[in-house]
Amino acid sequence: MRDKAIPLLLAGGLVGLGLAWVTQGSGVIHNDPDRNLYIPDQLTMPLQVKVAHDGERIWFRYRWPTERPHVYHDMLRYTDGEWVRHGASPVGPQPEGTYEDRVTMLVDDGSVPDFGRYGGYITVGDRMRFFSDEAPAEAVAAHPYLGETLGQTEVRKHLPETRGDVAQWDSVVDAPQLAAQQASGYFLDLWHWRAGRSNAVGMSDDQWVGEHRHSDAGQGPYTTNWDAENARPQWMFDPEATGRHALRWEDVTAERVDFDGLYYLAEAFAVPFDPDHDWQEGDVIPRRLLREGEGSRGDIRVVGDARWSDGYWDVTLVRDLDTGQPDDKAFAPQGHYDLAFAVHRNATGSRWHYVSLPYSLGLGREADILASRVTEGAPDWSQPWFDLTLYYPGQVDWPLLISEAHAGAEDIAAGLPVRAHHHERQLAHYGVEMEFQDAIRRQWALTLVAGLLLLAGLFIGLLPAFRRHHSGGTP
Amino acid sequence: MTGMHHMLAHFPVAFWALASLMILVGVLARGRLADLCQAALLPVLILGVLGALATMLSGYGVWSLEALLHSPLTRNHLLMAFWSLAVYLMLVVLVWVGGRDAFSGLRGLVLVVLGLLGAWLFALTGTLGGHLAGAPTFFSALPRLLGWELYTTFYVPTWVLGVMVLLAIAAAVPGFRRLKRTHR
Repeated sequence: MRDKAIPLLLAGGLVGLGLAWVTQGSGVIHNDPDRNLYIPDQLTMPLQVKVAHDGERIWFRYRWPTERPHVYHDMLRYTDGEWVRHGASPVGPQPEGTYEDRVTMLVDDGSVPDFGRYGGYITVGDRMRFFSDEAPAEAVAAHPYLGETLGQTEVRKHLPETRGDVAQWDSVVDAPQLAAQQASGYFLDLWHWRAGRSNAVGMSDDQWVGEHRHSDAGQGPYTTNWDAENARPQWMFDPEATGRHALRWEDVTAERVDFDGLYYLAEAFAVPFDPDHDWQEGDVIPRRLLREGEGSRGDIRVVGDARWSDGYWDVTLVRDLDTGQPDDKAFAPQGHYDLAFAVHRNATGSRWHYVSLPYSLGLGREADILASRVTEGAPDWSQPWFDLTLYYPGQVDWPLLISEAHAGAEDIAAGLPVRAHHHERQLAHYGVEMEFQDAIRRQWALTLVAGLLLLAGLFIGLLPAFRRHHSGGTP
Repeated sequence: MTGMHHMLAHFPVAFWALASLMILVGVLARGRLADLCQAALLPVLILGVLGALATMLSGYGVWSLEALLHSPLTRNHLLMAFWSLAVYLMLVVLVWVGGRDAFSGLRGLVLVVLGLLGAWLFALTGTLGGHLAGAPTFFSALPRLLGWELYTTFYVPTWVLGVMVLLAIAAAVPGFRRLKRTHR
C-alpha cells in the first residue's frame, strides 16, 4: 500500500463515524398503537402557578400554553342512522379532537413521604393502564377486589404500600389495612379540572389516590349520557331552552370554541332523548351530561371564567382549606405541603400527559411555592408566577425505579430526592427510551460493535503504511 | 468501587489528553519540543491505555450490569469508553510500529486525526461520567449543539450499521493483502 491511500482510509473511517453521528437516535422510536405507543412531538411544556389563601379558602391559579382548546369530550355523532361514539380514551391524541384538556394536581400533607421526594412516580405501579404490558382486562375484572368489588378492568394510579408486593399489581392488601391507611392519611388528594366534563358548570372534579384512583364521595360534575339498551343518548338539548336538539359535527371539530355558546349538555337544559325527532347526519349529542357536583366530590369550584385565550388556558380553582372530608387533604395556615401537577392537552387522555416533579407549598412557611395571604375578598394575584416545567413521563413505573435495573435505586432507598440527580428534560428522554428499551439496547450493542469493527478495519488498512518504514522497537 | 472508579478515571483522561497534545506538537511543530514529544509519546499512550483498562474494570463494580445496560447515560458512557480505548490502542500500535517515521508525511496526518478523534471520544466519556456522578459540565452543551442529546442512547439505524461494516471491510481487505505480501 502506498501512502496516498491513507487519505482515502481516513476519509472512509470519518465518513463511517460521521454517518453514525448524524443518524444516531433514529430508526427505532416510532408510534405503535398496538403496543400503546405514541410519543408526543414536544417532550416538555411550561406551567405557571399561583396560590393564595385567606385562612378559610385556598385558591390555585394555573396557566399553560396550548395551540387550541379542546373542550368537547366524548361525543355521539349521528351517522347512517346510528349514534357513534367519538372520544373513547385513545392511544395518543384523539384524532377528531374530541378529548378534553385537563389540569390535575396531587396534594399531600406529609403523610406520604415518598411523594415529596419522587412525586407522581410513586403512583405508577405494575402493569398500569395503557402501558405496553398493561394487565389484561379479564384478569383485572376477575380480581376479587379491583374487579369484583371496585368493578374495574384496568390498573390505575395507586400507592406502593397498598400492595403486598409493589411489583405485583394484583397483590392488594386487605380491606381493613386499606381503610387504616386512608384513615392515617396514606393517600393523595387529586384536584382534577376538566375542560369538558366539569369546567362549563363551574366545577372541578375531586378525587383521591390510594389503592386505586377513586372519586371523592358524593356526586361528580358529570354522568354518562347513554342508553345502552337502545344504543342512543338518554338526554338531548332542550329545543325550547336552547333552540336546538343537538350540536353539529362541523362545530365540534372546528379549531375555535365559542365559550359563550353551547358546547356542552347540562341538566339545566337537557330533556329526555326523543327517538322520533328527524335526526340529521352530523348531529352530535355529548355523551356526558354535566350537573352540579355534590358532597366531597363537589368541593372544588372554578373561579371566574376559566377560558382559553391567545394560546393559553388560565384556570383558577378554589376550595375550603379544610373541607372536613376524609378523602381530602386539609390545608392550614403555617402548613407545608407537597404538590405535583399534570396537564393533558392536544386531545390526549390517560398517560399521555405532561407531569411535574414534586414541589412544596408553604402557607406562611418557606417552600418552593409560597401561598400569598388574602386579607379581604379574592386574591389580587399581584405575586409573580411560579414557573415550572412539565414533561412527558413515558413508561417508567415505581417497581422499576426501586429495582436493581435502576442505578438510582440505592439513592431512593436512602431517601435522596429525584431532583438530586434528574431534571425534567432528562426524565422526558428517559421516559421515551423506556418505551423502546429492548430495541434500543439491541441497537446500541450493535452500534458499539460496528464502531469497533470500523476502527479495527481502519487499523488493519493503515498498519502496512506504518510497517514499511519501521519494523519494531520504540522511537 | 464508585470512589475507586472516579479516582482511576483521572489517569486515562490525563495521559490521553497529554498524548493527543504530544501528537499535535510532534507532527506539526519542529525543534526540540517536537523531538521530545515524538520520543515520549509511546510510554504516555501505553500508560493511558493501562489506566483506561483499570478504570473500565473498576467501572463494572459501580452498578450492577443490569443497571449499567438499562440507562441511556451508562450505555453511552460504555460505548464512548470502548471506542476511546480502541482509538488509543490503534495509536499505541501505529506509533510503536512506525517509530519516528510515524510522525512524518501522511502518517503524521493519521496520528493527528486519530489523536483528535480519541480526544473527542474520551472527552465525551468523561462528560457522561460527570453526569453519572451528578456533576455535569458545560461541555455537555457541545455535543447537544452538534445534534446529540446526551440523555438519549447513542445508536444508529440498521442501514448505517451495514455501511459501517462495509467500510470496515473495505479498509481492512487491502491492508490484509499488503500485510500478507510483506510476510512472504
